[in-house]
Amino acid sequence: MLLSPDELEAFLLSLRVASIAVLVGLPPAIFCAYALARWRFPGKLLFDALVHLPLVLPPVVVGYLLLVLFGRQGPLGQFFSDWLGLTFAFSWRGAVLAAAIMGFPFQVRAIRLSLEALDPGIEAAARTLGAGRLDVLVSVTLPLILPGILAGALLCFAGAVGEFGATITFVASIPGETQTLPLAIFRAVQSPGGEAAAARLVLLSVGLALVALAASELLARRWKRRFLG
Amino acid sequence: MRLVSCLPQTLLALVTAALLTSAPARAEDEITLFAAASMTDAMTDLAAAYSAAGHPSVKLAFASSSTLAKQIENGAPADLYISADLKWMDYLAERQLIVAETRSNLAGNALVLIAPLGSAQAAAADPATLDWAALLGADGKLAIGDPAHVPAGRYAKAALDFLGVWQLVESHAVFAGDVRAALTFVETDEAVAGIVYATDAAISARVAVVGSFPTASHEPIVYPIAVVAEHDRPAVRAFLDFLLSGEGARILQHYGFVVPARSS
Amino acid sequence: MLEIAIQRRQGDFTLDAEVAVPAAGVTALFGRSGAGKTTLVDCLAGLSRPDSGRIVIAGTTLFDSARGIDLPPERRRLGYVFQDARLFPHLSVEANLRYGQRRAGPGDAVASFDQVLELLELAPLLARRPAKLSGGERQRVALGRALLAQPRLLLLDEPLASLDQARKDEVLPFLERLRDEFALPMVYVSHAMPEVLRLADALVLLDRGRVAAAGPIEEILGRIDLQPLTGRYEAGAVVTASVVGQDAAFGLTRLDLAGETLWIGHIDALPDSRLRLRIRARDVAIALAPVAGVSIQNQLAGQVAEMSRDGHYVDLAIAIGSPAAGQRLWSRVTARAADQLSLAVGKPVFALVRTVAVERQGVSRRPEAAAP
Repeated sequence: MLLSPDELEAFLLSLRVASIAVLVGLPPAIFCAYALARWRFPGKLLFDALVHLPLVLPPVVVGYLLLVLFGRQGPLGQFFSDWLGLTFAFSWRGAVLAAAIMGFPFQVRAIRLSLEALDPGIEAAARTLGAGRLDVLVSVTLPLILPGILAGALLCFAGAVGEFGATITFVASIPGETQTLPLAIFRAVQSPGGEAAAARLVLLSVGLALVALAASELLARRWKRRFLG
Repeated sequence: MRLVSCLPQTLLALVTAALLTSAPARAEDEITLFAAASMTDAMTDLAAAYSAAGHPSVKLAFASSSTLAKQIENGAPADLYISADLKWMDYLAERQLIVAETRSNLAGNALVLIAPLGSAQAAAADPATLDWAALLGADGKLAIGDPAHVPAGRYAKAALDFLGVWQLVESHAVFAGDVRAALTFVETDEAVAGIVYATDAAISARVAVVGSFPTASHEPIVYPIAVVAEHDRPAVRAFLDFLLSGEGARILQHYGFVVPARSS
Repeated sequence: MLEIAIQRRQGDFTLDAEVAVPAAGVTALFGRSGAGKTTLVDCLAGLSRPDSGRIVIAGTTLFDSARGIDLPPERRRLGYVFQDARLFPHLSVEANLRYGQRRAGPGDAVASFDQVLELLELAPLLARRPAKLSGGERQRVALGRALLAQPRLLLLDEPLASLDQARKDEVLPFLERLRDEFALPMVYVSHAMPEVLRLADALVLLDRGRVAAAGPIEEILGRIDLQPLTGRYEAGAVVTASVVGQDAAFGLTRLDLAGETLWIGHIDALPDSRLRLRIRARDVAIALAPVAGVSIQNQLAGQVAEMSRDGHYVDLAIAIGSPAAGQRLWSRVTARAADQLSLAVGKPVFALVRTVAVERQGVSRRPEAAAP
């Protein structure tokens, strides 16, 4: 079952976009999860709702909002391009952004659950031993919530591999640049006689998701073994 | 305790509601129309006019012709199909999925080059003679439908090929899922230019038409219409007749479509 | 000297504590559950914030609401041993121990790694994970970890409470060793009197959020009015006696209590060393004159210092030997007996104490340096 260059390109692009989307979303996800799990502040409910918005909005709507905000004329788009030289329109960076945002609620939820299961007394103990807040976060909290981070990363990755609506609406379907596996599958399915290509691409997607699942499972097991000596 | 004793009644109520709401879905007089995305506004108006005249309501679904054809092939409950090109109608005809005798050409369209209103590229020019390199610049994007399956995209590629500029333009092209998405990219100034139907450009207040592509540069843009196989009913024929009538033509022309002379 | 004057409201409960804790030795923070002990210690450590007040240790202000000072826990240099140990599950015992040590400033070193290892016998545990330790082992590691953070004062919140009796007996000697080896003041929270008696020099009694009394332990425990707070059933006096000699033949040790002789079961101790004893009030009988032909070995001369009626019973505080020595025994007798003997404050009496009644558990050595 040999792949055409286009199909291979779509696969590699999906791999790249999904991985970067997970990594890009991780620090803000940790921050939001921490805020929701540990802090009390006015408007917390609204903040929680905002975090979960990509989960409940139709993906095409998210894509359109991204277009309006991060496009060439959008306020955030201009900020990024003026101050950081980053553009998202019609580029793989836009695909990463779409995937990261659609997967964001999953990352936050998983990390938040892990944080809530963590005994805050352990962190208090670390402080009495001379560790400042950031030190505690890095030396105690993060290692202990690693399973949650992994679970969230897996969900986000799988979601990113399958992300379609927001991506095609925001950055269109450009082979080699934004035509990820789902977009390539869509194109194949729409084209007459494209069923065979579509089937190959679908198998690739499933394979990718399974590998991600296995990797996450292995990592989680290794972490458990470390703990229980 | 209370809940348990209420259970039989609650179940009965739920089942009744389900039956009642599902019943009218297969009513004889409701019509479902699948139409190419570029027909969105015209068809919505036509359906409204039809209902206003006292006729049963028409359910509308718009997407790229390719998407709709594939759905019909897989059993989607469409009564009527309007495609944005002959190819997809032929596709269904080959598979005996339309009532051949009901097929006719509903309307025609023109292909235009558009740019965001007020942009530098919006100045009027003839696509056959303009400097494409200057138009697109170093990294400007040209939004078109995906030539692999969107009719508007196929026409665009054919036209650009004809003009000998496809090689130059290809690296600037971004493929949208349907022609309306391509229009959106130009409206939001994401792309510096785009190729859509004249009718699409007409309904948008945020784009300017740069010029039309010569009719010779692409196949005629024809919108064939047909009744879907096994959906041939008097009510469906009645709506088809309405679309092909003088009033139908009037509304289509209002939106910029070209209406061929009808043989009544 | 640790000066505390803080107020904190938590729902229905208000903590309003004002006390000065000595700069040396073990100060027990004693009280019933819900008296506010853990709240107080959390405020000291910086894990809870008082609504108002001051906390000053050896001249350094840890908290002062009036001046807006509130040092974060990591800057207070107060070691904290928790009831549930709270070891880091993702680190080995050694990494746990080193956690605080690595973060300690160059300042006064309190304990070295090897010292702590030896003292708490932690060497065989170093490579293990906390999940694989027993309760007693976990507490020892927690002790070591807190020590290695080089604190200037150690807070211990009921460190033995979650252990069964066997583990308690295992860990208690380590606490005594800790007290004896390091010149480190400790605040020891507990609601169990036996531990307090063995470890503490000073006692702070906390009752419903307020400090009911504070001072040297014998003095506090010698006050009848505080009995309800210190525990009625097991009530007894705490006295300090010095060893005179041993009777090898009968396996008894002879003590001098304020000039009177006291025989107890054999204790391995050198002459002139000091022992703290707890003698329960119900084990002390009163006689108006020495009694002959009786099995009771100890008949201590003294006089009635305090008397308090409690229903059909009378609680007496008997000053042993010379009142100036300040050693008192309690006795609980029936009102009938008190009437029959016409007991009154100031009356010379003899306190009869059965040797057998002085429990092994109630005897502990006192370090040489501490003043009674």
